[in-house]
Amino acid sequence: MKAAPASVTRLFKVAAAIFFIYTSAGCDVDSSNNIPPVPATGLVMYAEANLHESEETAQIAAAVYLDGAPVGLVGGDVFEARTTTQRVLLKDSGPYAGSYATPLVLDVVQDVFLNVVHEPIEARDDRWYPVDLLNIDPGPGELVGKTATVSFPPEVTITGPVSGNVYRSINDIVDLSWTAIGAGDAMRVLSFVSCSDGLSNSSYGTVVEIADDDGQEAIPLNRFIFDANEGSTEIRFISDAAQALLQELLDQLSAGNIDPDFVARKIEANPISSDCEIRLFLQRQRKGVFDASFDDGLVIGSRSAEVTVNYLVVVPFDLN
Amino acid sequence: MSVFIQLFFIGLMTLMSVSVHAREMQLDASVLLTAMDAGGNDNFKSGKGLALQYSYYLKKWLAADIGLFVSDQTFTDTRRDVVGDYRVSIQSKSILLGIKPRHRFAAPYEVYARLGMQYWQTELEVEEYFNDSVPGGKTSATDTGAGYYASLGGAHYISERVVVQLELRHMTQRDVFEGESDNPFDLRINALSFGFGYRF
Repeated sequence: MKAAPASVTRLFKVAAAIFFIYTSAGCDVDSSNNIPPVPATGLVMYAEANLHESEETAQIAAAVYLDGAPVGLVGGDVFEARTTTQRVLLKDSGPYAGSYATPLVLDVVQDVFLNVVHEPIEARDDRWYPVDLLNIDPGPGELVGKTATVSFPPEVTITGPVSGNVYRSINDIVDLSWTAIGAGDAMRVLSFVSCSDGLSNSSYGTVVEIADDDGQEAIPLNRFIFDANEGSTEIRFISDAAQALLQELLDQLSAGNIDPDFVARKIEANPISSDCEIRLFLQRQRKGVFDASFDDGLVIGSRSAEVTVNYLVVVPFDLN
Repeated sequence: MSVFIQLFFIGLMTLMSVSVHAREMQLDASVLLTAMDAGGNDNFKSGKGLALQYSYYLKKWLAADIGLFVSDQTFTDTRRDVVGDYRVSIQSKSILLGIKPRHRFAAPYEVYARLGMQYWQTELEVEEYFNDSVPGGKTSATDTGAGYYASLGGAHYISERVVVQLELRHMTQRDVFEGESDNPFDLRINALSFGFGYRF
């Protein structure tokens, strides 16, 4: 079917409007500076090991930063995590830029020793070709020999809220309680939130630092659930207008054969107006030690426990 | 000319010299589009190759088949891991020795197959790059061994002596670098070839 000239002109206008609105309202998200909170100067060691409740596998991550920038281990230099019975190399990408990670089986809870080693063949053993025959070995780098030790704190036992507890307002308070140890360890809550408004989904994480390991913390729900449009009615208007125009354009291009909620389904759900599952990870952290040749370091062993609560949107009752 | 290719031509000339009174012979030349698979996460790109084969017909429907296969240097995608960026390439040559049964239809068409052993020589090259301050480079190794090949093709006679051929080929090289490495691999080469044959 051939579109009439007027229809084509209108389609171009709609497309141009959408382009303008999205480019003027868009924000650049720079994820290149995803680094842990380490000092911005000097040679800094970062290492973190977490052991979750009832699991025998700790998640290990480590990195070295020089003046705030990650230092890549290359040419066969690699972090090794070792206990008295286990040894693994950190060959996966870690949660932070330039960090390396691996799971490590712990038969018993014990210290984990992290060393930078030079293993030109073992570091390549995920490759398909004969790495023992063909490899270019530049020799050990400057970081080889540097070490850190991670110690785990006592385990975390959450006593409240009960799993499945429901909250209906972001002003509600989550009364988090746990068995206090009081050994001077730091506490924090990590949340993983999954929301759905019936059309689309969203998921994200937040962190809440807790002052003391005293067994209780009242945390407002708005530390986990937020209004994505809060404080910017103008942006909300533009976003809604762009959605409507894009939906109209797609409707015209497809001669009406498109889901009327197609665009809405592509937009991330706003948590405050969605039903959300909130997984709360309470983490107890203990500082470890790092090689004296580092200028500074952030070495943490942690243990965590989890409870899941829910945020449900209050649906207005229609008297009509 | 490498010893490998010299060996092929010596065999070819020997066969031709003992077959001057044969009823039928055929020389085939083909270009190949190859797909290499060394197992694991190799991700080879497609490559090219050449095949030259000589058939000496023992019977109307069966020939002895000797040939030479040479592949172009075929690269994998560049990949990155904890060590650095790396790319692998393979270049392979094979002497082929086997049989070629055929069936000729009344129309100017023929179907045929090839089945036999191959003696291969394969070079594996690895390029690695680390970062600006740690230099990388290339290294390579060569191995030889035995394997097999099989193919199925169709031919169209454009004259009494000249045929065009389309052929699907499979070649397997077993245990490449066995004895030299703890991680030997089998190399499988699948190919689609197009070529011409000349009967004399």
